[in-house]
This record gives sequence, C-alpha cells and structure tokens, in this order.
Amino acid sequence: MIYLAPHLLAGLDFRTLPEQLVNGLFLGAIYALIALGYTMVYGVLRLINFAHGEVYMLGAYTALFVSYYLGFGPASNATHSSAVNLLIMLFASMTVCALIGVIIERFAYRPMRNHSRIASLITAIGISLLLQYGGALFLPNSPPPSINEQVNPYRGSTSLVIVGASQADKNAVGAAEPAAATAKKAFDDYLASHPMESEFQVSKAAEPLRDAARDTQVKLDNAKRKVATSGVSITIRYGELIIFGTSLVLMIILTYLVMFTKRGRAMRAVSHDFDSAALMGVNVNSIITFTFVIGSALAGAGAMMQATLKGSTISTFFGLLPGVKAFVAAVLGGIGNIPGAVLGGLLMGLAETTVIWMGYSRYADAIAFVVLIVVLLLKPGGLLGSAKVEKV
Amino acid sequence: MLGLHSHWWWNRLNFTKDKFFKLALATVAVAGLIGCGSGGSDTSAGTTTGGTDKPADGGNAKKRPEMTAAGNTAKGDEILIGLVASQNGDLRPWGVDCIAGAQLAVDEFNKANGIPGKKVVLRIGDSASKPEQGKSAAEKLIGDGVLAIVGEVASGITAQMAEPAFEKGIPDVAVGATKTTLTDIGNNVFRVCYTDAFQGPVMANFAYNELKLRNVALMTDKKQPYSVGLSESFKATFEKLGGKIVDEQFYESPQTQFAAQLTNVKAKNPDGLFMSGYFPETGPMAKQAKEAGLNVKMMGGDGWDSSEILNTGGEAILGQFFCNHYNNLEDRPEVKDFLSKWKAAYPKNPVPATTMGALGYDAVALVCDALKRSKSLDSKALRDAIDDTENFKGVSGNITLKGNGGNPPKRAIVVKLTPQGQAFAKAYEPGDIKN
Amino acid sequence: MFWLKRLASMVVAVLGCFVVDSLIRHSFGDYEQRIIVLAALYVTLAVSLNLINGITGQFSIGHAAFYQVGAYTAGFISRRYIHDLGHHPPPIPWLIGMIFLAAAAASLAGFVVGLPSLRLKGDYLAIVTLGFGEIIRIVVQNTDELGGSYALDNIPKIQPIWLTLLLAVTCIAVCRNLIKTARGLTFLAVREDEVASSAMGVNVTGVKVTAFIIGSAFAGAAGALLAHYEGLITPTTFAMDVSFIILTMVVLGGTGSITGSVFAALFLSYLPEYLRGLKNAKGDPLVVSGTAIIAGLICVVLAVVFIKKILDAGRGSPKSRGFTYVGIIVAAMCLEPLFSALLHPVKSLAAMQIEAGQLRMVIFAVTLVVLMLLRPQGVFAHHEFSWSFVRKLFGGRNGPTTGVAA
Repeated sequence: MIYLAPHLLAGLDFRTLPEQLVNGLFLGAIYALIALGYTMVYGVLRLINFAHGEVYMLGAYTALFVSYYLGFGPASNATHSSAVNLLIMLFASMTVCALIGVIIERFAYRPMRNHSRIASLITAIGISLLLQYGGALFLPNSPPPSINEQVNPYRGSTSLVIVGASQADKNAVGAAEPAAATAKKAFDDYLASHPMESEFQVSKAAEPLRDAARDTQVKLDNAKRKVATSGVSITIRYGELIIFGTSLVLMIILTYLVMFTKRGRAMRAVSHDFDSAALMGVNVNSIITFTFVIGSALAGAGAMMQATLKGSTISTFFGLLPGVKAFVAAVLGGIGNIPGAVLGGLLMGLAETTVIWMGYSRYADAIAFVVLIVVLLLKPGGLLGSAKVEKV
Repeated sequence: MLGLHSHWWWNRLNFTKDKFFKLALATVAVAGLIGCGSGGSDTSAGTTTGGTDKPADGGNAKKRPEMTAAGNTAKGDEILIGLVASQNGDLRPWGVDCIAGAQLAVDEFNKANGIPGKKVVLRIGDSASKPEQGKSAAEKLIGDGVLAIVGEVASGITAQMAEPAFEKGIPDVAVGATKTTLTDIGNNVFRVCYTDAFQGPVMANFAYNELKLRNVALMTDKKQPYSVGLSESFKATFEKLGGKIVDEQFYESPQTQFAAQLTNVKAKNPDGLFMSGYFPETGPMAKQAKEAGLNVKMMGGDGWDSSEILNTGGEAILGQFFCNHYNNLEDRPEVKDFLSKWKAAYPKNPVPATTMGALGYDAVALVCDALKRSKSLDSKALRDAIDDTENFKGVSGNITLKGNGGNPPKRAIVVKLTPQGQAFAKAYEPGDIKN
Repeated sequence: MFWLKRLASMVVAVLGCFVVDSLIRHSFGDYEQRIIVLAALYVTLAVSLNLINGITGQFSIGHAAFYQVGAYTAGFISRRYIHDLGHHPPPIPWLIGMIFLAAAAASLAGFVVGLPSLRLKGDYLAIVTLGFGEIIRIVVQNTDELGGSYALDNIPKIQPIWLTLLLAVTCIAVCRNLIKTARGLTFLAVREDEVASSAMGVNVTGVKVTAFIIGSAFAGAAGALLAHYEGLITPTTFAMDVSFIILTMVVLGGTGSITGSVFAALFLSYLPEYLRGLKNAKGDPLVVSGTAIIAGLICVVLAVVFIKKILDAGRGSPKSRGFTYVGIIVAAMCLEPLFSALLHPVKSLAAMQIEAGQLRMVIFAVTLVVLMLLRPQGVFAHHEFSWSFVRKLFGGRNGPTTGVAA
C-alpha cells in the first residue's frame, strides 16, 4: 500500500475533483432512488425483488410513450416544451410503475409468501427474465429508442467558477475571434458560389481559403478551450440538478410517509415483525401493496428522469445495470433501512466517480462491489443496518 | 480475525487419515485405468481436436487452413442457407435488423428465380448474444443441412461459429464481425464488412488530415470487442501520423452516464473525441459532452449508423462525423434500390435501424450470387464460388473476395450528421490507407 | 470389503462413462453431442452449487465466477503451453491435470469467497458472491493476456465426452456420499440451525468454508472442461445470468436435493434447445402471431391461478385433483385460440409474426415462474431418488419407508 501510494497519486488532477464530487452525488441520487424500492420491499417481505430493475425499465418506456403522445415523437419538430410536460411524464411513469409493481406482487410474490424465500427469489428472477425478453417482443427496441430531447426544456449547463481563467487567456480569445470570423466568411462566400464543393472536397484554387478558415478556427477553438480548462470550475447540468432536487423531494416525502403517518408506522411494524403486526390489527396485505406502490413509483420517477433528463437510450435491458447497482447500494447501506439506501446510493455514486477521477474508468463498475465487500467485512449488516441471523 | 484458531483442517485430516490413504489408492487405480484406456480413447480426443492447428496470431501469412470435410449437399428443390443472429439479448437490435436484411435478399433472389426450379430457404438460428449459444445454433443449422452459414454480427460469436463450420466443411460469411484475425480460422470464413485494421485508420486519417485535429481523447466501450479493437487501430494510426491521444476513458454498455469520464477528458483539453462504441451509448455521450462544455469534434465508427442516431444524440450529434459503409443519401443504384425495397417490405421501419440491415442483405445476396456460379449445389463448391467473388455490387460497396483471404478491401465513407441524415464528407478507397 | 465395493463402483462409473460416450458418439450428431456435453457441465455446476446452497444453506448466487476462474486458469495455461509454445503433451493426462489445477484455482477463489461467510448471513452473503463474480468478470475483461473483452482463444480442443460425464458423476457421487456420512450431517446441521449445531460441537466455520471449497472446485473443474471443449471462452459466457440459471436449477429441482439439481439442470439446458427446433407440420420453423402469444400468456395465468387455488385448498383425493388439473390444462389449451381470435382486432398484435425460436427465452421464463408458483419447494423438494420409490411406482412392495412422497 505504501509502495503503491505515490504511484496512485501521481496522475491525479485535483482541479477536477470538485466537479467529480458533484458528478458523484448526482449519479448517486438515481441509485438511491432505485435502492429505496429494493430496501422497502426487503424491509417488509425479506425478498430481493429482482424484478425491480425491470419495473424501472417499464417506467422509461412509459415516459417514452407519453412523450410520443405529447407530440415529441422521434421525427417531430416540436420545440416548445415546458415543465408541465415533464411533470405529466413523471406522473405517468410513477403511476404505471406503481401499477406494475402491485400486479407483480399480487400474482407472483403473494402466492409465494408462505414458502421459502429462495423460492420467491427465483420467481423474481423469472419475472425479471420474462419482462426483459417478453418486453423485447412487444416494446420498440430495435433500434433502441430514446426520448426526443426537445421535450426537456432544461438542457445545457452552467459553470460555477471557483478559480477563474487568467485575463491573458481571455484576451487571447478576443484576439483570435476577428481573424476566424473573416476567414470563415471568405470561405463561406466561396462555397456559396460553388455548390459542387464542400469543406473536404474543394478545388485546388480554393484550398488556401479553406485552410485559412480552418487554421484560424483551430486557433480560436484552442484559445477558447484554454479558457474553459485553465481555471477550476464545476459544470452543473440543469438536468442533473433537477434529478437531484426531485430525488431529494421524493425522499423527504417518503421519510414523512414512513416516519410520521399511521400507514408508515404500520409499515415499520410489518418490517419489524410480520406476524405480530398482523396480530396487532395491521392489514399486512394492504401494507405490502402500499410498499410496492411506493417503491415502484420511485423507480418510475428515476427511470423517467434518467431517460428524459439524461437522455439515456431505452431498451429492455435498461434496468439491468442500474438495478444491480442500486441493489448493491441498498445492501451497502444496510438492506431494509431507508436512510441506509440513500446513503448507500450516494456512496456508490461517489465511489464510482472517484475511481474514474483517479483514471481507472475501466474498473469503475467493479469498484462498487469492492467497496461493498470491504464494508460488509467490516460491518456485516451494512452501514446503517444490523446483522440478524437469517435463514435462507 | 479469520476465525481459524480452531485449526479445523487439522482435525479434519486426523479424522480422515486412513480414508485419505484409501482415496489416494483409488485415485491411482482410476488414473491407471485411464492411462490404459487413453490408448483407445485417443482417437475420440483426436476427432475433436480437428481445428486446433491454426496459424499463429496475427501472422501475415495469407495461407489459411483449408477445410477438408465434405460439407452438405442440397436435397430436393430447397437450398438451405443458415443465418445466425441474436434474436435475444443485448445485441438484438443488430440481430433483428440483420435478419430483416437477409430475408429481403432471399425473397428477392427467389422472386428473380435465381436458381431455376429451386428455392433458397433461409434458416435462422438464435445466438442470444452469446458465443456458446451461437455455436449451438450453428451446429444445429449444419445438422439441418445448410449449405452455408451467414453471420454473426459480433466477432466473438462468429469465431465460435466458424470452427464447427470449418470442421464440417461449411462456408461462413460473417456480417459485421470486424476483428482482424477472425478470417485466420480457416479458408471457409469470409466477411462482407471491412476490418478494424481499415476503419480505425480511415478515421485517424480523416481526423488528422481533414479535421486538423492533433489532441484526441478516446471513449471506449470496454465490454464490446468491436469498440476496443476500433479504438486500438485508431490510436495506432493517429499516433503514427503525429497526433496525440491525450486520454482514453472506458465505460461499459449499456451504461449511459458519462459525466465523470467526460470531466476527465475535458481537463486534458482535447480538440477531438473519438467514440468507438455503438450509438445507444455514443448518442447520450455526445449530449453529455456538449453539456459538459466540451465543444470538440466528435467521431465514431460504423456502430453509429442508425436511423435513431439523430434522436439519440440530439443536437449535440449534428455536425459530427463517422465512418460508414454507405450513405442513405448516396445515389448509387444499389443503395437506392435497397432502400426502396426495404421500405416496401418493412413499412413499419422504413429505413434499416442499424448498419446490419445492409450488411445482412449483402452477405446473403453474396451467397446467393455465389450459388449461381457454384459448380454444384454443395458446400465445397459454394465455398469456392464465394472465394471467387469479384466485384460483387453490394449495398455497402463493391466486394471482392478473390485472393483476399476472406477480407474484402472495401471503400469507406466518412459522413457528417446533419438534420436531414448523413451527408457525404469524404470517401476512402482501400488503397488510400497504408498501414 | 467396503473399499472393494467402493473401488468397484468407481471402475463401473468410469467404464460406464466410456460406454455412454461411445454410444453418444455413434448415435448422435454433433449438435446433439454438444447439448449433452453442455448439459453434463450444467449438472456438475448445479450439483456443486446445491452443496453450498441447498445442503449447507449458504446463499451463494455467484457460482459462474468459480466456473470462470476454472475455465480461464485451465484455458490460459493450456493455450500457453500447447498453442503458444508448441508442446504436445498426451491430451488426456494433460487435461486431467488441468482439471485438477482449475479445481484448485477455483477452490482458492471459493475459499476467499467463503471467508466472508464466516461473518455474513443470507442476502449479504448472496450479494458478496454476486459481486465477486462481477469483479472477476471485469478483471478478465480488462486483462489483455486473457483475451480482454473479446475472448481467450486458441485453447486446444482436447476434451472427450466421457470426461465430462465422469466429472458429473463424480460430483454427484461426492455430494451424495458426503451427506451420507457423519461429516456430511454436520453440513445439514449447519443449514438447519447454526447456533444449535455449533452447540452440538459442529465446527460451523469449517463446514461452511469446506462447502465453498468443494462446491467451487467442481465448478472450476467444469470450467476447465468447457475451455477445452469450446476452444474459446469469452467473459459473456460467465455473466451474471449464468449464475442465476445455475441457481434456478438448484431451486427448481428442490433445494438440497441432488436428484432435483440433476433433473433440473438437464431440463433447463434442454428446454431452450428444444424450443430452438420447433417446427410446424410442414417442417418449416414455427411462426406465431402476437395475438397467440398474449392469449397464451393469459391462459397460462388463468390455469395457474385455478390450479393454485385447488392446490392450496387441498380437498379431494389426489386422483380426482389430478383429473381436475388435466381438465384445467385442456380447457386453457382450448381457450387459447378463442382468446387469440378475440384479440385479433388489435391490428399491431395480429400483424406480428414471431418465429418460435425467438420466444425461447420467454417460454423459459414463463416455465420458471409457473413451476415455482405451483411447486415452491422445487420439483423434488428435499427428496432423493431411491430404488424403493421406483419399486413402489411400479406397484411392487414398499421397501424401507423412505420413498419419495411426491
């Protein structure tokens, strides 16, 4: 370790660290949102809901279809969107996912409730395979579609400047601009009068014109990039900011539901002891349904935001990777523990971006598991959970 | 710490000492038996060893092992052609497209009465995006009596399929497998696409000479051999030309969150970004790069080719370049013809979803063309006919397999993405690129 | 006398494998042989996971990792020695050496994974095993010496069928003999109650780690055979879904039942291949319409719901219930075309023409869910195959009363 330390630290670029930490938090927010679904279901049923990732996938498809309905098809030229459209999509995804979650629980998990947990687990895997492969037959996935970005009015990003670029660099941009503009205009004028030629296929005579345009443009671009990269700043994408904010709001609502309502108390009771809760007059079935509604709706919200605000491509395997990572996040935080899931999710996001920041992006997906194993060896119940003796 | 203080293994050994002795005895006995038996069983091992004496990796020797087995012969009035493609799993979009293109070629051939009195029938085997399943599918098709196999889209699966095909004497025409060493497996392996050793250098040349880029960063999909190979060949040529690869970041499909990788890339201040993966990932990547403030030229390979790329990549992908086999707007008759036929056959998806539509069509059309020239309707004659293919006018360009060891030298087109589709930027003939 | 018997049974096993091998090679084509070899490997994998999961009760869901470790270890060394360096060792002894090496490497991995099991329980252990599998896969994918994401190729293909069969038989024999001994009972004790068994003097730690070591050693050996059978192995061959399928075999057959694992492994590896070959009456590949698929799903759901109701109520004699089940299934099959016709107006569904081969993963998943719903304890539950049951089945007198109650 001591030998490795200087080697590991050598190539690190501390200027990007703040931005990477923000990236990590934003990444973790989605993991946390999905992890909540895993952890809640686990809390009441002691079941790893392997189909949760597929519920998430169906949420993304719902968002896709609603966006078509709203007039933002793949080929549409619609450009005017508003937050209302996003809210409609969000609501639709959450509703559909909640419904699907309840259906899965009713038909696949409830009949298994009195049998061994591993049998329920296999049923969950079966449902997951069914939705993945069956979905591929009926849902558009060839080519994998994505939601028209025009439906999202909040594109682009802003830069929080911590240390600005030097004035000399900024001046260089100003100096390069006029030359580039003149050269570009000259070449554009030439092209306008010669329709059969393009930037890459010009007659010999026009080559100096083209090269001038190119070279001045390259100079300008270089100067601009120097400004953009010389200081320390944090680029914040609006879309990710919205995701983070929405996730926080949803988590606060969830906390309120679980901690301060009667239903939430019943849920905690069921989670604590299934049979005693039933004896105390808690309607266990309705509580479990409620749990699936909440957990699946959160997944739906995450899926919609991922597909719309981050522009992820949708396929029937959309939920596979986030599902596994969120599951790891849930276990990391202590499965069954709601704050644990959030903590686990954020930690996973941070761990991943940190590893990428250190230059090991090829191992980014493995690091989640390494962190998990290390944490579990030190604290077998997860960060906030408590280890209990369970039988498979 | 590990809770091993009880020395349970010692207890165990002591407990079973005599048993161990006897077990060792039994093992020796069994080993002796096998030793005696191996004389007889050597032949059984030998038959399965068939295709192992392949040439060394990456050898320049064009001499490919020759297939010796008899292969299949057409029976009755049906000529079976096998197609292995992914109908399930994460390569499904490419597989389904490939099947659609292949079916189109077969229907067209039969309509034109290509082999008088006989009908070409396409048999499809699902590889489920997995090499071992692809091999099972190929074995099944060969058992069903196909004369030739077409496929697969991915190199790893093709390599697995090509081996049983070699042992049984069945030609295999790969659709989109670009791994350069793939055709070394045997003289039964052909492809209709160009190799990694061509596409990467094309883009490197284009980036260096046309776009005047000097500092390029790479984004590689570590899970897809296609992407890894393409990045490697791009890197090699670009550095040879004098450019600098400032950074290489990795991701794993179907991952679509690249913020952290892009932040790293941005800090290295590149003037170009080469994204060698497939469009479901590179589209969102372009969007996120733009949002990260990376105003650089982005480039990619034929994995970008899709009817969906403009939607997947949004505004960020406009004005970026990639290397393609053909161009939808091109006015070559083959392309126009193919696109209109496709539109008529598949009104729901009026243009091929991925580049495999055209390549699948070409591969099957090439096999059908060879059938016409084949001396007899059996695998061996068909292989020779395929090997003799000269100047076959495919949608993806002219294909000449004669004397090329299975790898047709093909033209590559660099296209620029515009709101209307793919605008022609520059064409590279096989001779233009010197490795 | 006992050891003579044991030795004789070993000889019989080896000879049996030779005989079956030659039978297979003479009566089947390459495709069928391939299915048999892969099925035998899956039997080994399922039975060895059953030792960890079913018999010892340690929830491991990353068995493909050990399979991968074995395959890459053996594959890498064989390729290096035979292909790269050009040596020609006698194939069978070399392969057997490789099997032991792969088993050793995999059991080392099993030991490493087994260590957390000292501290972790249930689902926490499960996720660690899963994570270990992913770590191995990603490391292999990033190691160019191992072929990276493409493949480790040029492994000599020197694997005869009988060795695969022998491995499966050995694995079954070891597991069966283990649970018949006093030592094996401690495994079962650990599964039933760790605290109680440790109070009875069972070395819980030792048992758990031993189970992991033996189980992963067999998976590694299976990997070595796979590597030498395929000649080319890729990281996707050992992805997470392979682990899930192995786990499914164990649970579907009945957790803890070796017989169950064997049958489930055979069934689940044959099913997708059977579906691959579905043909219509004319001999062309079967094509199904979208409406038929949806109608089929509805009928399956209905049938399962009804059967489940009767099953749970548990009234009537087994015979009369059996008739009801058959009735329900027949009714569902009759209703299917009706539903399909009802759905016909849905244009987009009716226009869909899906080749049956494409449906095989869907049918696989449906079969899984249906079997689990109807028989959650697994097909064989915790029972084993026994001759007395066979005798009973054929109307003979009951032997010792340990027959299968299924």
